[in-house]
Amino acid sequence: MENLHADALVVGGGIAGMQAALDLADQGFQVALLEREPSIGGKMITLSKVFPTLDCCSCITTPKMSAVAHHPNIRLLTYCELESIQENNGGYRAKVVQKPRYVDARKCTGCRECEYACPVTVPSPFDRGLGAYRAIRVPFSTAVPQTAVLDMENCILCGKCEKECPAGAVDFTQRPESFEIQATTIVAASGFELTPLDAKKEYGGGKLQNVIDPLMMERFLAPTGPYGRVLRPGDGKEPTSIAYVQCAGSRDETLGITYCSRVCCMYAIKQAMLISGALPMAEITIYYMDIRTFGKGYEQFYQNAQAMGVEFVRGKVASIREDDEQNPVVNVELTEEGRKMERTFDLVVLSLGMVPTLGSNLSLGLPIGTDRFISIPAPNASPCASARPGIFVTGTAMGPMDIVDSIVTASSAAAAASAYIRAHQKEIVYA
Amino acid sequence: MPEKKQTPENTHAPDSEEVRVGVYTCHCGGNISHVVQCERVAKLLGKMPGVAVARTDPSFCSDAGQAIIEQDIKELGINRVVIGACAPSLHEQTFRNAVTRAGLNPYLYHHVGLREQDSWVHDSDKEGATEKAVRLMSAGVAKARLLTPLEPIRLGAEKQALVIGGGVAGLRSALDIARQGIRVTLVEKSPFLGGRMAQLESVFPTDETPRQLLHDLIEQVTAQSNITILTAAEVTAVSGYVGNFNVTVTQHSRGVSDEMAEALLAACTQETPDAFNYGLTQRKVIYQPYKGCYPPTPAVDWEHYDGQPIQVNGKPVVLKDEPQVHQLTAGAIVLATGFDPYEPRLGEYGYGEIPEVVTLPQLIRILAQVPDGESLIWNGHPVRDVALIHCVGSREIDGIHEPQADGQVNNYCSRVCCTASLHTAVELRKRFPTSNLYELYQDIRTYGRGHEDIYRQAQASMVRFLRYHGDEHPEVMAAPAGDKHPVLVRVKDHLTYGEEIEIPVDLVVLAVGMMPRQIDDLVDMLKVSRGTDRFLLEVHPKLRPVEMAVRGIVLAGTAQGPMNIQESLSAASAAAAKVASLLGQGRVELPPFVARVDESKCDGTGACVEACLEEGAIALQTFKENGREVKRAVVTPANCTGCGACVGVCPNRAIDVQAWTLAQYEAMVDAIAMDIPAFSEAEK
Repeated sequence: MENLHADALVVGGGIAGMQAALDLADQGFQVALLEREPSIGGKMITLSKVFPTLDCCSCITTPKMSAVAHHPNIRLLTYCELESIQENNGGYRAKVVQKPRYVDARKCTGCRECEYACPVTVPSPFDRGLGAYRAIRVPFSTAVPQTAVLDMENCILCGKCEKECPAGAVDFTQRPESFEIQATTIVAASGFELTPLDAKKEYGGGKLQNVIDPLMMERFLAPTGPYGRVLRPGDGKEPTSIAYVQCAGSRDETLGITYCSRVCCMYAIKQAMLISGALPMAEITIYYMDIRTFGKGYEQFYQNAQAMGVEFVRGKVASIREDDEQNPVVNVELTEEGRKMERTFDLVVLSLGMVPTLGSNLSLGLPIGTDRFISIPAPNASPCASARPGIFVTGTAMGPMDIVDSIVTASSAAAAASAYIRAHQKEIVYA
Repeated sequence: MPEKKQTPENTHAPDSEEVRVGVYTCHCGGNISHVVQCERVAKLLGKMPGVAVARTDPSFCSDAGQAIIEQDIKELGINRVVIGACAPSLHEQTFRNAVTRAGLNPYLYHHVGLREQDSWVHDSDKEGATEKAVRLMSAGVAKARLLTPLEPIRLGAEKQALVIGGGVAGLRSALDIARQGIRVTLVEKSPFLGGRMAQLESVFPTDETPRQLLHDLIEQVTAQSNITILTAAEVTAVSGYVGNFNVTVTQHSRGVSDEMAEALLAACTQETPDAFNYGLTQRKVIYQPYKGCYPPTPAVDWEHYDGQPIQVNGKPVVLKDEPQVHQLTAGAIVLATGFDPYEPRLGEYGYGEIPEVVTLPQLIRILAQVPDGESLIWNGHPVRDVALIHCVGSREIDGIHEPQADGQVNNYCSRVCCTASLHTAVELRKRFPTSNLYELYQDIRTYGRGHEDIYRQAQASMVRFLRYHGDEHPEVMAAPAGDKHPVLVRVKDHLTYGEEIEIPVDLVVLAVGMMPRQIDDLVDMLKVSRGTDRFLLEVHPKLRPVEMAVRGIVLAGTAQGPMNIQESLSAASAAAAKVASLLGQGRVELPPFVARVDESKCDGTGACVEACLEEGAIALQTFKENGREVKRAVVTPANCTGCGACVGVCPNRAIDVQAWTLAQYEAMVDAIAMDIPAFSEAEK
């Protein structure tokens, strides 16, 4: 890989990073967009439908992915890891490693012949392990770029893919390649991770088969999902009673996470509505402390869910155990009645919160807040400015937020970054 | 020699070119395919005349999906594209770009809204929905066969933006736009900048001083040489379109010159309720809202000044408002018109009837006037017990709560009041340590970064929480004479399992929600839309979250919906980014769907000119033809909105809207009404 120059380096190709890159590129700036995964799209591309409009998620995400891929001012760098950054020449020099795909990206046409030939099946993280893919594959059907990637950890080196590839693109000799990007400004859009499923031991996540995380439910509900319907992973049974445990990983001192993750109320309500559509007979109960439907149109969304028959129960779930048929049994303190009760469900979804992505945040060397998200020293003056000059933050890298807010902060970070570029570059060459 | 008349059909589509339609029925990620049997639709459409290929895909809008279409254009010679998918407002542009990339004119593509017009509305009738899809798609094909290449209307764009509203969002937008080298005119209705933020005393979660933050921001704005600030000014007329809006701004006089300011301010005796303090105090009609305001020169409150002379050094001075009119051109307009706190109805929670009932914004102004260390006295009583009631004018329920004048209730959450209320409770506890504080709430929504800490701080400060249900609002009443406390609050508290609790208090504080500023005139002038919550409506919350349906008009801050300061700043910067992208190149493109006159058929009747709803869109012009003068209608494309009013009245069928011609409509109607008894037969 040759070294690159760009006006802006955007770290992270999820919805926030894509939007920031597009806004900068639309203004004529040269943007390098760095993504550690083999495809851009981030967490959003794995979702089913999105609140409050219930638009199909890929209908919002994939055109943005496409726009990024086709923009003449955006250089897309996938499967790249940011190693470090260094102040240099009024801007930053970023050290980046291109991870080996073991596929020549210039030759690969995305025909998937390699995938069909590959004999190794591995659980697909795109489907939260509910589905499977091959050791060599195009990451998912709407991936950008449509370039295959081989995971060496699972490859048995049988060579079938190499034989089948009509473009001769498979290359087992690839090695990690380091290169540098010199950029005037950096936009950190490094996103979030879901609270681990097993973070709160009392809830049995990761141990009890029918206690799942919300992204798994997204894959059940997504038309591109592994089963195309909702069923419980333990035995494939269609669930008739489903519980949502709110604040499972947020507002919880015992986990050291005292903040509200902002999105869990809305995604639980959304999933409840979608499940009601898919399984009209299913009973859905949401156990909550406070329902936080604060965004535009969200309160009405909540009211619609109540009208549809979703049951909202104010209560704190203390623990979850399993009965003999692997049904999760929820032990809940009903805070409006002052009593405890147990209720058996077919399936429990833990409404897990957001925790920061650490990798690229560490490489950026940015100070973090007590919540461990990137610190914003002056939120009421420069809401996207990090503690380092010329580095701006967007989306969930600066704390939990939903897609709407991520997109707005992305454009906001782009505005701040472009002002910074203009102030720090004497001459701007337009594309 | 007889000349063949050049009609659009034969100009660009020579007879030799065979029409080859590609038909694409999108599953729309299940939105369509869960109801419409897309494969059947494709199979049937594939048999229609002129259709060269018919395909389906889980999502044609994805990069892979677009690639299929592009490949067909390049490899199968597809020269008309019909896509049945979501609403055109979502992805028409996406597909136009794809078609363009493949080398085809982008207007040789027609979009059928199968999601909104079919699958979403007929989800209980799959067979019927599938038949309807066939009909809609057939109509699309019939139209597409008659499509001709078009070019967008290209116009120069004024590298100048108009920002309406000088609160924190307007200021931030103006600054960020100006930093991109675009000139900005900032219009503020009041004589001073700063808006609602100036009325606050402390900003959560950082506890910064809002007027200091505003001062810093205004300093940056005024340092920017390409920003013109017009205070005491209002937009009174707007015409034009994206890139070239013509705006009239009427600016009131300040009424006071810098030299005379001090003397006049001292001499003025007429007073009026001080809006800065929400009417709790009086101020002079010549005023500065607060120390350090911008501009610093006092201004006359024309609405309340009685016109009487003011005696300055023994001389009577009569102040006169001589409004000045400014004309300006703007390529884009930012609406940052802000919010008003919800004004409770007379008697709502005792408001306006019991003096000890105030709103949270009022309490903030009251506290601002109590020096540190002194106790809080209200209506002659020391204040020790305070009840703060949440969700006043928010989260109201239709059929349960009294609607407003427009028949609607505020069923939205105002988003900032929970944190604002708790933040104030923490401050009350700090300043008046012996006070008893009660928060009456439905759900505590301290969602923002650092906000939950304020909630925890309030809990740790012994603030008592009582939870009421949305359909059981607390009651506020005057206490019987002789009681220690002037007010009683009665609430059914669900934290104590539904117990009816009566709290005697000295002050009731209503945490009122946000309402959009009254901007009916502006909404009419700009022809922009509002949502059911009355706030200005964005095109799409995710695809175009700060843009309005009228191109070139963007939204910043609370004009769009409740937001806190940080969120307003972000939205304002986002609006600036959109303006910079739009105007940065100095030109804009408008869609070519405008009226077009076939001069061979035009008799110059002028019926179209009379029917036209726009200004300067169509006019009669005199031409010399074969030595005699004839009148013909001529369209100015930039002013035409393509509404078709002219098309309907032309006696000669001489006008068409491009890409929506009468011939195309007829073909569509024929196709949609075609007999398809063979619906099941044709599939065999």
